[in-house]
Amino acid sequence: MTKHILIAEDEPYIVESLGFVLTHAGYTVSAVRDGQAVFSAVSEQLPALLILDLMLPNKNGFEVLKQLRSDSQLKYIPVMMLTAKGQEQDKNTAEQLGVDAFMTKPFSNREVVDCVHALVSLDSS
Amino acid sequence: MSIAAIGYKIREQRKKLGLTQAKVAQQLGISAPYLNLIESNKRTVGGSLIVRLAELLHLEVDELSGLAEQRLLDDLRELPADQMFQHIPLETNFADEIVARNPNWARTLLTLYRAYLDNNQALRMFGDRMSLDPQLQSSVHDMLTHITSIRSSAEILNEMEHIDKAQQDRFHQVIHSESTELSKVAENLVNLFGHQSAKNPSLAPTEELDDFLIGHRNYFPQLESIAWEIRESIEKSSYLTFEEGISSRLEHQHKIRIETISPNAPGNDTFTNQTFFDPDTRQLRFLAHAPNTTRRFQMVRLIASLEQQDTLNELVNDARLTSPAARQRAFLALSAYTAGAILFPYNQFLDAANACRYDIEILRQQFDGSYEQICHRLITLRNPEAEGIPFAFLRVDPAGYVSKRFPLYGFPIPRYGHACPLWAVFSAFQAPGRIFRQISEFPDGHRFLTIASTVTKRAATFRDQPVLYGIMLSCDILHADRTIYTEGIDFTDKTGSQKVGPSCRLCTRPNCQQRQEPPLVALH
Repeated sequence: MTKHILIAEDEPYIVESLGFVLTHAGYTVSAVRDGQAVFSAVSEQLPALLILDLMLPNKNGFEVLKQLRSDSQLKYIPVMMLTAKGQEQDKNTAEQLGVDAFMTKPFSNREVVDCVHALVSLDSS
Repeated sequence: MSIAAIGYKIREQRKKLGLTQAKVAQQLGISAPYLNLIESNKRTVGGSLIVRLAELLHLEVDELSGLAEQRLLDDLRELPADQMFQHIPLETNFADEIVARNPNWARTLLTLYRAYLDNNQALRMFGDRMSLDPQLQSSVHDMLTHITSIRSSAEILNEMEHIDKAQQDRFHQVIHSESTELSKVAENLVNLFGHQSAKNPSLAPTEELDDFLIGHRNYFPQLESIAWEIRESIEKSSYLTFEEGISSRLEHQHKIRIETISPNAPGNDTFTNQTFFDPDTRQLRFLAHAPNTTRRFQMVRLIASLEQQDTLNELVNDARLTSPAARQRAFLALSAYTAGAILFPYNQFLDAANACRYDIEILRQQFDGSYEQICHRLITLRNPEAEGIPFAFLRVDPAGYVSKRFPLYGFPIPRYGHACPLWAVFSAFQAPGRIFRQISEFPDGHRFLTIASTVTKRAATFRDQPVLYGIMLSCDILHADRTIYTEGIDFTDKTGSQKVGPSCRLCTRPNCQQRQEPPLVALH
């Protein structure tokens, strides 16, 4: 059974290209574009990994991460955070909230796929 | 060679002019042996004697007394305080030598340093804009997002095999679309920076104005005469009061309409200051809460700038003021100077100040001036023939921003960064309106009497915040007994002095609880 990756990102072209490469890498992919919708999507789909953009409309990535980590059912789902800011303070905040990986835009497809493989295999081991 | 060696300068210039000691002494009305003692730096020289000496030796008083060089030296001594020079062992004593041997090199160094500070400040502003400006943050975010899409799509096309034609076309389309968006973001960024740099004012005008005023010792005899003439002509007019005389002069002679408007008046969003002059409509407007002292001052200031435009322009046509912005600031400063001189005539004001022992409250009542106006006038009493107490002046806001400064020998007011938090002016914010006095002792042992208080510019409406400033005057302890402010305190007792410094970086006190920054030079 293929593993499922949920992408929370409001930029459609990034969703499209990430979805394409991850599908080619053997995953099934779905996406949400709004911060408010992430929690319910994770609850329903229980993905093997959440790729979470920081700057999401309506609820930012930090708020989503905090909500996930405080939920007893969902707190173990690995989260890779994407950001265009890349400031040290953001990394620190994400780490404090329990992020598993932090990727700064513009990233390469290879970086993302490698990181996804690592996180998903770690999770299943 | 020390710049304090005034005697050597006298001897050198006397010899250059081919004058004998006896001849000069005779013309000065002093004995030749006494002149010899002066030339050997064994006797001090000041007051009217230095004025006559300067005249006789064809020198400016400041040039002879070393005041001009002293200011240059004070400014130069601030240089090593900069972090940039912390790895260079700069001995401040050598600054004396540079100034003494070649003042033009010292000026060049200072000019370069100020240009560096100016650029540094501009860089910091750009840095702040980068990190804080929402428009810029959003542009950077958009840029990185578009680049990510382009990069990702390009990698798919470049690295992945077996992609069908439709998918290839799709990612080509993404690259095209995202590149177009990226160009728009880049264009917006260019416009943003272009617009911003145009808005960035140079720091230089303020500093040039400082130098200009200090260079004139904040005393302009030409403006004093003009002010006297204007005052006399107003007093001789047939109006009952001085106020009526000035408002009538503006209305009839200059066709200016004076209006008082309520802050709530419909459409009053054009000005927030207490006063505003519109040269196009020739309207001088005051908000209703503007005090009488402000109205009087602004009216005579306008008279001075309208009637003496040529004289003021001539004065600001000075090599120290290198830009139109600096000259404009100087024009405003000199029109304010003239206004002060009209309202508080030099000789009357000096006599009154001496009589009441510089009691600012009495002077306020006697001359109907605001606290700040009176303090301002006190620092202009620098006519060498009839000089008041030389004061340093500082105006600072509660955040520590110095908006006006006039330093004094031995009482350096830092040009950059913050001042010493132990200065009385910062205590004054704890009890606004109360006058604080302090005997301040600098690390070199120089002691000053300091008088500080706050002034509040009233708010126009409940929604506005009143503007609060701290005003400080300081004079050498030698003059302290001429003021009312030493009453009841033994200012000769050094143990009662407040140990202060110029600023943390320049201060050499090892154990100060107020220290916020490490000292420039390691303390032993």
